[in-house]
Amino acid sequence: MLSLRAIRKSFGGVEVLHGVDLDARAGEVLVLLGENGAGKSTLVRIVAGDHQPDAGEIAVDGVSHGGWSPAQARAAGVRMIFQELSDAPPLSVAENISLGRLPARGGVVSWRATRARARRLLAELEVDVDPDTPASALTLGQRQLIEIARAIGDDARVLILDEPTAALSAAESERLFELVQRLRERGAAIIHITHRLDEVRRIGDRVQVLRDGRTVLHAEAAEATREQLVTAMVGREAGGVTRPAQATPPGEELLALEQASSRGAFDAVSLQLRAGEVVALYGKLGSGVDAVAEAAFGLRPLDGGRLTRRGAPLRLRGPRQAIAAGIGLLPADRQREGALRERSVAENLAAPSWGRLGRRGLIDGGVEARAYARWHETLRIRSRDDPAQPIGTLSGGNQQKVLLGRWLERATELLVLIEPTRGVDVGARQDIYATVRGLTAEGRAVLVATSDYEEVVQFADRALVMSRGRVVAQLDGEAITTERLTDAAGA
Amino acid sequence: MRQVPEMSDTTTATPAPAAPAPAGVLTARARRRVPELAGLVIVLLALCAFFALSSPYFLNKDNLVNVLAAVAVTGIVAAPGTLLLVAGHLDLSVGSAAAFCGAVLAVRARDASLAEGIALAIMAGVAIGMLNGFVTTVVGVSSLITTIGTLAIFRGLTQVLTDGQTVNVADFNGLGNARPLFDVPLPVFLFAGVMVLFWLLMRFTTYGRSMYAIGANPVAARLVGIRGRGAVFAAFALTGACVALAGLVIASQVGSATPQAASGLEISVITAIVLGGASLTGGRGTVVGTVLGLLIIGVLNNGLVLLDVGSFWQDVARGSLLVLAVSFDRLRARFDSSN
Repeated sequence: MLSLRAIRKSFGGVEVLHGVDLDARAGEVLVLLGENGAGKSTLVRIVAGDHQPDAGEIAVDGVSHGGWSPAQARAAGVRMIFQELSDAPPLSVAENISLGRLPARGGVVSWRATRARARRLLAELEVDVDPDTPASALTLGQRQLIEIARAIGDDARVLILDEPTAALSAAESERLFELVQRLRERGAAIIHITHRLDEVRRIGDRVQVLRDGRTVLHAEAAEATREQLVTAMVGREAGGVTRPAQATPPGEELLALEQASSRGAFDAVSLQLRAGEVVALYGKLGSGVDAVAEAAFGLRPLDGGRLTRRGAPLRLRGPRQAIAAGIGLLPADRQREGALRERSVAENLAAPSWGRLGRRGLIDGGVEARAYARWHETLRIRSRDDPAQPIGTLSGGNQQKVLLGRWLERATELLVLIEPTRGVDVGARQDIYATVRGLTAEGRAVLVATSDYEEVVQFADRALVMSRGRVVAQLDGEAITTERLTDAAGA
Repeated sequence: MRQVPEMSDTTTATPAPAAPAPAGVLTARARRRVPELAGLVIVLLALCAFFALSSPYFLNKDNLVNVLAAVAVTGIVAAPGTLLLVAGHLDLSVGSAAAFCGAVLAVRARDASLAEGIALAIMAGVAIGMLNGFVTTVVGVSSLITTIGTLAIFRGLTQVLTDGQTVNVADFNGLGNARPLFDVPLPVFLFAGVMVLFWLLMRFTTYGRSMYAIGANPVAARLVGIRGRGAVFAAFALTGACVALAGLVIASQVGSATPQAASGLEISVITAIVLGGASLTGGRGTVVGTVLGLLIIGVLNNGLVLLDVGSFWQDVARGSLLVLAVSFDRLRARFDSSN
């Protein structure tokens, strides 16, 4: 249906695609794998007409095109769901679904038709959302589904999904896969970009792995083994997804929630966090895992039960008290809640420690640069070795490492991580796990709230599974398996 | 003032891309970046060269001192304005607040004593700043709206206080007109002093760092434990103090307080700050950039007068320069982020 041949693309004199082929065939799902920086995004942006290739050929249904503009891509039925949301948050769900093509007669919008279309598509996706609510009131995952609904409502012939499941819970991902399946049966060509290896077999017909701007593996999805995929992506033999053995037995209790409740979010949650432990809170969107993590950092008041720190009651009125009590947070939305965007990596890393690094309120760039130098190696931040580099120019995984480094510099005893590896490539993900493991080995403790079961399996010593604001299961060590997690979460 | 400053680690050049950066950008980023303020320095030098060639009077020492004196009042207010803007806040009330402070001085000097007038004028400035800060940080109204409101309120109160008339201030021309050193007027030294103070504050204090952090991302700043409201409130209060100083200087220069004093000051201030490379949404901007912005405006105005260009056309030139300079900055940022 759509084929690209020998595509080359350079940015400012540096070639990032060295002659890549790509075929999207009707009724087939192509899974595109690769680490950040491998060239996947550039490639699909060429498909969508956002970037013009420097060399190579693009053909639709066998007809070659000289140029390839966004308009031509749209006309050919190419629709792309971006990794980061491109919706209009203040507008209603219904308007977002019909964004840019509101049903209208003579310039007057038919709100009735807009709502009807939204209801039909939401029902098809099995998303339980009122079409009249503003998108800003929804969670990230819900908004992503709304965007997918928009593309589907637009009769996509070639649908590009750029890491659509990064923000989705297991159940929502399943729903999406079913939908992809249906679209495929209808004859659409689907290009699915992901970091999750299990999705290759789950929905893929073919898999293509990019590394450093070249295709390093192209195979039938059913024939590619996990090891082959990982090796192709990372370019070296990588450790499998086996669970790391817990280095030390857990020590004393550092933090605990006792029958904690927060109205509308979670109810009667009890958990213990001991020195040397990684405890995961696993649940799909709306299960309350994020809210519990926020409560542990003082972002959400408890209206029942209590929080204790080393056995003593702890009342948190906000992040400042939490930080003073030795707790640090890695928030869910890196762009909106984590990164100080225009500022340098060194400033971003030093931010919570300014009070300590400075002397009587005075500080200079050199102190921050040295702080950055202390952690640059440990965190394996891949960038040019320049503390003044703006954080926004780093890849998602490397940004996340800098944000994690904040709490290393501050020597924070307890870390609360919310979706720590969302949108982070395999290599960086392993680096983050390794860094956090290093922390627990030193006697610190980590609470992870996540909707990614692979993360729980790879990373947690204990897992609490939540559903509808309550803890529904607890799994320890070897008992943590993908099947048990998804079963318990009510997927 | 005109030499190229050491810029390597003051600021960052690239705004965060709205969309995820295309793959492969990381390797490309290793290329050099265009120095942040190079464009401004080039523009300033080019303007100076042009006017020096076109008019024999331009490079005269007295004339250059005039350039500085002409931007001194704007500069005294632009320094705290830069601090506010990097945190994402604007103060549009500076012009009418300065006029109000001048009026307080003149009226109290007439009715009571000069000393009381000066003291009350300074307190009025700080109080206006604190009012702006309170409404913005505690009540939560955007600073743009708050200060549009206080702009109107204090222009009106100035009229009330002066009864719409010019009020003379006796025995108070030293602050605006004295020439303590090298035959340079005192306001130029005040301007330099305020700039150095804010340069130190923004470059070498944790307070300055937190203002940048607040402007770059207020949510993230809160999550790393920065007291956002207190910091912004303090910046408004500092602005008020500088505005009071500016109001006193103006009253001293002209020997009186007029109801329309300093009108349009807020626009000159914002023009200089933005010309100096600050982002209106916060997170980016330096005092050095603001000084360059002020000098460019000062040189342009001065040169156009020397060339006998009408004041109407001076406005056209100033406006065009601002748009061109900011356009250049956008293009540079795009060039940086696309390669």
